[in-house]
Amino acid sequence: MVEFLLFLVPASLVLIGALIVIFAQNPVHNAMGLVLTLISLAIIYITLNATFVAMVQMLVYAGAVMTLFLFVIMMIGVDKKEQSKESIKGQTLLVSGVLLVLISLLTYVAINSNFTWDLWFEAVQFDIEGTPQLIAGTLFTAWILPFEIISILLIVATTAAIALAYDTKKRKQHV
Amino acid sequence: MFEVTTDWYLSLAAVLFSIGFFGMMIRRNALIMFMCIELMLNAVNLTFIAASKHFGTIDGQVAVFFVLVVAAAEVVVGLAIIVSIFRKQSSASVDVLNLSRG
Amino acid sequence: MENLVLVPVFLPLVTAIFLFTQRNLIKESIVNIFTLSSSVISFLITSFIFITFTIEKFESYSVVLYQWTESPKIDFSFTLDGLSALMLLLVSGLSIFIQQFSTSYMSKDENYRKYFVYFNFFVFSMLVLVMSSNFLIMFLGWELVGLSSYLLISFWSSKTSASKAGNKAFILNRIGDFGFLVGLMFILNTFKSFDFQEVLHRANEIPVNTITVITLFLILGAFGKSAQFPLFSWLPDAMEGPTPASALIHAATMVTAGVFMLVRISPLLQYSETTSFVVLVIGLLTALISAFSAINQYDIKKVLAYSTISQLGFMFIAIGVGAYVAAVFHLLTHAFFKALLFLGAGAVIEALHHEQDIRNMGGLRKKMPLTAGMMGIGTLAISGIPPLAGFWSKDEILASIFSKGGIYLGFWALTLFAAVLTAFYMGRHWLLIFNSEPSKTIEDIHDAPRNMKVPLVVLGIFSIFIGFVNTPFFHGVEKLLHITLEEVEITHLPEGLTLVVLALISIGAGFAGLFLAYLIFSQNILQSKLFNNDGFKKLIKFIKEASFNVLYLNKIGNVIFVAGAKLFSKRVAVIIDSILIDGTVNLVANSFSKSAKITSSSQTGLVRNYVLYFGFFLIILVAVFIVTPLVGN
Repeated sequence: MVEFLLFLVPASLVLIGALIVIFAQNPVHNAMGLVLTLISLAIIYITLNATFVAMVQMLVYAGAVMTLFLFVIMMIGVDKKEQSKESIKGQTLLVSGVLLVLISLLTYVAINSNFTWDLWFEAVQFDIEGTPQLIAGTLFTAWILPFEIISILLIVATTAAIALAYDTKKRKQHV
Repeated sequence: MFEVTTDWYLSLAAVLFSIGFFGMMIRRNALIMFMCIELMLNAVNLTFIAASKHFGTIDGQVAVFFVLVVAAAEVVVGLAIIVSIFRKQSSASVDVLNLSRG
Repeated sequence: MENLVLVPVFLPLVTAIFLFTQRNLIKESIVNIFTLSSSVISFLITSFIFITFTIEKFESYSVVLYQWTESPKIDFSFTLDGLSALMLLLVSGLSIFIQQFSTSYMSKDENYRKYFVYFNFFVFSMLVLVMSSNFLIMFLGWELVGLSSYLLISFWSSKTSASKAGNKAFILNRIGDFGFLVGLMFILNTFKSFDFQEVLHRANEIPVNTITVITLFLILGAFGKSAQFPLFSWLPDAMEGPTPASALIHAATMVTAGVFMLVRISPLLQYSETTSFVVLVIGLLTALISAFSAINQYDIKKVLAYSTISQLGFMFIAIGVGAYVAAVFHLLTHAFFKALLFLGAGAVIEALHHEQDIRNMGGLRKKMPLTAGMMGIGTLAISGIPPLAGFWSKDEILASIFSKGGIYLGFWALTLFAAVLTAFYMGRHWLLIFNSEPSKTIEDIHDAPRNMKVPLVVLGIFSIFIGFVNTPFFHGVEKLLHITLEEVEITHLPEGLTLVVLALISIGAGFAGLFLAYLIFSQNILQSKLFNNDGFKKLIKFIKEASFNVLYLNKIGNVIFVAGAKLFSKRVAVIIDSILIDGTVNLVANSFSKSAKITSSSQTGLVRNYVLYFGFFLIILVAVFIVTPLVGN
């Protein structure tokens, strides 16, 4: 029962946060909704024994990435109302069509499989703890090449961000 | 009935992904769209971790780190783009942007 | 010792390369020293080789320079046997006298040195051809003589006609060479070897049809090189080259390469009656057409060119009836008297300051007695008047045809008619140049200088006596060739009284032709009252026109091939090029640009449209998962 509650509460918070993200009109509210989702997800991660990932989720996502979002929101301002009228021809119709088809397909699948997932493999009976040692032991041995590549990606992304944000016009005026 | 199996986590991830996808389609503020992308990425992360528990291996959690890094890189570049677009047109709406029109 | 045969082959090449590199060698006398001494040396060595070869009972031997390919084994090697020894002696012997003649004929030419480079290069090529021990080396020599012939024909390349003639010779030879090459491929495929010894010894193991196919392609090569019927029109044009070069290349040696090649492959040829018959018919046709064409030519050299084609036709006839020895013998005698005639013509041209039209000549007998005499010997020799060279060889050919009997009697009669024509046009030739009244007086005519006289006299003596090497009483050439042709069945001469009668008939033919020429061109019998009616005049005019235009063959060829090809290529240009090729290209390009326009309209540049596409593909993905048995049962 406790297990069930430990799933149900964070899960509903995740969904509430996600709905806030997509429906709230004020960008700051959206950001807060996202924070709610991310933190609730971290709790779910802990229940799934992925403690280290949960910590990283809190620090990197809810901390660093969200801060970045808020900075940008502050830069471009919150008071601008999003224009509510649809400007792309046929977009509403197509969106509702796509959603309808998707939902009906998924419903068909769900009814067909009696609302259970056939996961093909049985769940293991033991638990593994997502400790830093275990993760690092795998990450720096079997996954070392992707790890190096992803570090290069980060450097490139950082450089690109600097290059994009660099205002050449203003710079020239100063000089 | 109240035993929490992997199915539940996968269902939650699917719903979260769908919400993110829906948001992508209805919102036109670039910033919000990025948040929706974050939602979808997190849904994927959730499946990874659920699978990690299901199979009793650590590799799912390792994969989450890669997703995390990619998400971070994407957010950094994406927000930089939004900022530079905003400088030009002082609006974050994506509907007025069709420079890459074929 | 055996390697000595390499010296006469490669000495001309060395001389050619030496002269080619010595650009500062302007003095003609120094060039003369080099080229003449080299040819004298090679002739002496050749004579020595020949005498040794005769003493050692004509046993053939090969000299391998190096192995060219491993499998199939092809050596770069030369063979000395009866046939190649004869050709070796002939080529190196003639080249001395013709070079000596050239020193006088070509003097004061600005490209004097270049002429001797080409000349020596030709001698080298010809010797590679005749000394070759396998088909591939022979083909190498074959192409090299084609090249050097081209170079010498278009020697005065500033003249448009000369360079055109060179091109024509080269291109027509390509047709023949194509046949030769295809024949070589067949040989390699059939025998897995190119070696003459091996191929020719195994000829009896091969089905006759295969041999027919091989030899039919090979004789196409011979037709090209030896200017036979469909491919003969290059030889008259080749007279644009220097006259001494014509004497060596387009009369004595190169054009006989086809005959040489056919004799070389005679072990193959004898098995295929079809090919032999084709050779016979084409040879006869060529002999008749070109002899007829020669009777009303006005260019002093063109008459001789047509005469050469006609005589080559005789050799082909001999090969066609299987008289290979007679063919080689006629090749030998013809080389001497035709070289003599060409050099005589060269002397006349030189004396008349490069006047070549025989209508402007006449009465030169008194001014150039020696040349007239020597040309007279050549004329009598080619007409078949005993005891001169031409009689023996031509009579042997005629007798060989006759001895085959049956339908060949008809061929014999036609060949005899060609012989009459030969005597007639050669008689006309001599009479118009040396005897009749000059229609235009050319001042300052002198007889040939010493360097021209010596070759003329030498060749004149040979033209008289060379025929005695192979008479019914002494079979010199046959003995020489008997090992080379030991597996070949040779058509032999009839015996006794028949031979005497045939000889008398062919002598009669020669005299008849000459007498007719005498009546018409010396006594002007056509102007007499006897023939003074319109019908006859029309007939004469028609014959003259037809002869001058070579039976309109060139015009017909132009209409069929040139105009036809033009029309065809125009059609091709319209249909294939503009519709098919351009159409395909344009279709591809247009379809790409159209499809690009259609698909690029989906690239709206709006992010939310792209999200929609993402949704569409999500649907497809889910549908695929539902349909495929991968997921869920």
